[in-house]
Amino acid sequence: MAEYIIRRTLQMIVVFFIFLVSSYLLFNAIPGNAFSNLLLNPDLPPDAYEKVLATYGLDKPIMERVQLYVVNFFKGDFGYSYKYYPKTPIELIAERLPRTLMLFAIVNIVAFYTGFLVGKVLAWRRGSKSETWITVTSVFSYTVFYPWFALMMLWFFGYKMGWFPIGKFLYPEKWYTAPWDSDVIFVLMIKFTAIISIIQFIAYIMTRGIESLSQRRNLRFASLLTIAVGSYFFWNTGDALTKKPYAADIAYHMILPVIVVTIVAFAGTALLTRTTMVEVIKEDYILTARAKGLSQKRIRDRHAARTALLPVVTSFIFTIVTIIDGSVLTETIFSWPGMGQLLLQSVLEEDIPVAMATFSFVGVFALIAHLVADISYSYLDPRIRIKSQG
Amino acid sequence: MSNTLKEQEELQKQLRKEAIRKNWKLFSQSKLGMIGLYIVAFFLFLALLQPFLFITGIWNPAIYDPVVGYDKISANLLVIECPKEYPSEKYESYEDCPGPGEVNIKKLYMAPDLEVGDYYDTFIQPAPPSRTHLLGTDSLGRDVFSQIMEGSQVAFVLGLLSATLGVGISTILGTIAAFFGGRVDAYLMRQSDLVLMLPSLPLLFIISAFAELKVWHLAIVLGVLGGLGGSVITIKSQALQVKVKPYVDSARITGGSKWQILFQHILPNVAPLALLFMVFSVTGAIASESVLSFLGLLNIDMSWGIMIYLSQTDGFIFSGLDFWWLILPAGLAVTFLAGGFYLVGRGLDEVFNPRLRKR
Repeated sequence: MAEYIIRRTLQMIVVFFIFLVSSYLLFNAIPGNAFSNLLLNPDLPPDAYEKVLATYGLDKPIMERVQLYVVNFFKGDFGYSYKYYPKTPIELIAERLPRTLMLFAIVNIVAFYTGFLVGKVLAWRRGSKSETWITVTSVFSYTVFYPWFALMMLWFFGYKMGWFPIGKFLYPEKWYTAPWDSDVIFVLMIKFTAIISIIQFIAYIMTRGIESLSQRRNLRFASLLTIAVGSYFFWNTGDALTKKPYAADIAYHMILPVIVVTIVAFAGTALLTRTTMVEVIKEDYILTARAKGLSQKRIRDRHAARTALLPVVTSFIFTIVTIIDGSVLTETIFSWPGMGQLLLQSVLEEDIPVAMATFSFVGVFALIAHLVADISYSYLDPRIRIKSQG
Repeated sequence: MSNTLKEQEELQKQLRKEAIRKNWKLFSQSKLGMIGLYIVAFFLFLALLQPFLFITGIWNPAIYDPVVGYDKISANLLVIECPKEYPSEKYESYEDCPGPGEVNIKKLYMAPDLEVGDYYDTFIQPAPPSRTHLLGTDSLGRDVFSQIMEGSQVAFVLGLLSATLGVGISTILGTIAAFFGGRVDAYLMRQSDLVLMLPSLPLLFIISAFAELKVWHLAIVLGVLGGLGGSVITIKSQALQVKVKPYVDSARITGGSKWQILFQHILPNVAPLALLFMVFSVTGAIASESVLSFLGLLNIDMSWGIMIYLSQTDGFIFSGLDFWWLILPAGLAVTFLAGGFYLVGRGLDEVFNPRLRKR
């Protein structure tokens, strides 16, 4: 196993190097550059454009620039943004990343959980009328033309009903006197969400072994109650109390995007769970469980669904990789200034250092996640493990 | 000798026919698969109907052309003056004035000699659905129904072309990776890693900056990107399962060459999964085209994405359902065709994967 990981890591470094060089060349091959619009300004002296290019090193031949960039990249120097000059790409990413993480972490957790539940029920009720209807709805929300759907929802809930704000992630007028910038609040909210989900996950694992259904349900309810009371105290004491109105403002802006993306995202998981579960139900051990006289619900939840969870977990890992890539469209529609918009704007404005930094951020993330998925998959499924050893 | 060969061929033909008949029976048992097939057939009918209407002369291209057609739809509007305070006796609120068939005199700076009570003769675009224009016209006076038909032609060409190309590439590469293993496998897997690393939407943005993307350019780009990416990994895992089957071993023992085994024994057995993949990737290709046109990056005259793009840039999408014929048909068409292909794929899945069947 260790040998495999080392070999994979070496290959990954080579792939990343190729990725870096080819995407740098790709960005430079786009006609024009970030400063082309200076040429259109009649007030500037004729040599201003060349001077600016020389300042940013854009007048050097392309091969020299690639070499410089790659060397500096591995030294940890990513250059300066062309558009937001004194800022470095790292600063920009650090500013934008919490916003995207907050939004999409919640979306993905909710979507995968509901998707798994729906898929489980779908496979179990095979052939019934309710299955057909739920499937048709899921397929509709899986294949719906997303920007169109999001705009319609924005129109209905944001404009017609006026329940939610149309775009942006805060009301600027509320923040004029705020002693913090929004990222402080975002980081606090991410920490809060992470702690809550960890507690809930631990409670879920702990109660899983309890045989009695009612006792298990009561214990889970108690853990939910504890979290509710705990979060009430958390937001009403000390430091968090002063930050509460600002956090509430952000949360209010988050509701509509979360609902819309969840509706679109849950269906994929539901359909995937259904397919794997339908295959699992045909296995012999389900027949054995039935022959033992176990209850339907128990067979469904404890025997079938657990095996069907495996591909869902894999797809969850790959979804995490595509969060930033997938956020481009959502953030454009909801004018949510996160990583997706940064990625898009830097590409459109040819802000090469920022575009390269975001591209490699996404790329490294994808490479590592792919490796982790391969390794964890062989640990989760004993059949694969045995095969790879023998 | 030749007689027996002929007989053999005849027998093979019959067997193939039998297999198709059996598979069709299995497919038609899946209700959702059949619904999907009907949806796809409906859009195919729409795509083929438009050229037919133009050739037979039922539709005049000058009026019904989806890109340059124009129809003068005139209307006689009653000139009125909106009250200063609401609710008045005729209008409930500010939004109700002017009502249908009326025009506010304050808006008539183009025709200053008109007075309240006169009739104002004008062209209205976008016009609501009527007998001549089943789905109305857009803000440039073009027939929406004809645009939907043109859009379905684009969707079919693009979806099928890019899916065929992508699945062709990934099937060949995936089977090669599984069959040869070792360095070839490692190279191909890292190559698909490289493609997966690039964020897809920004990458398409960059490509659209290089060249004016037409429909078939985009089909090739989407096909190659899809074919080199994640689907190679999936096809490879399927081919690995086929590789260890006894008939591959016996083919090797009887002296089949490497390429012969690859193309005659492994590839045909991976093909069902590849076909399945193709149907599902049509869904993805249609969605990508619509997203790119929606963002205004493609050099296509007309497609469903462009229809939504125009209705958004013209500001109709936030006007609610007053102009529903500009908003709903295009969005629903994308959704339904993609969903139709998805359902067909699911039906095929039940045919090829016996473990998914009911009995």
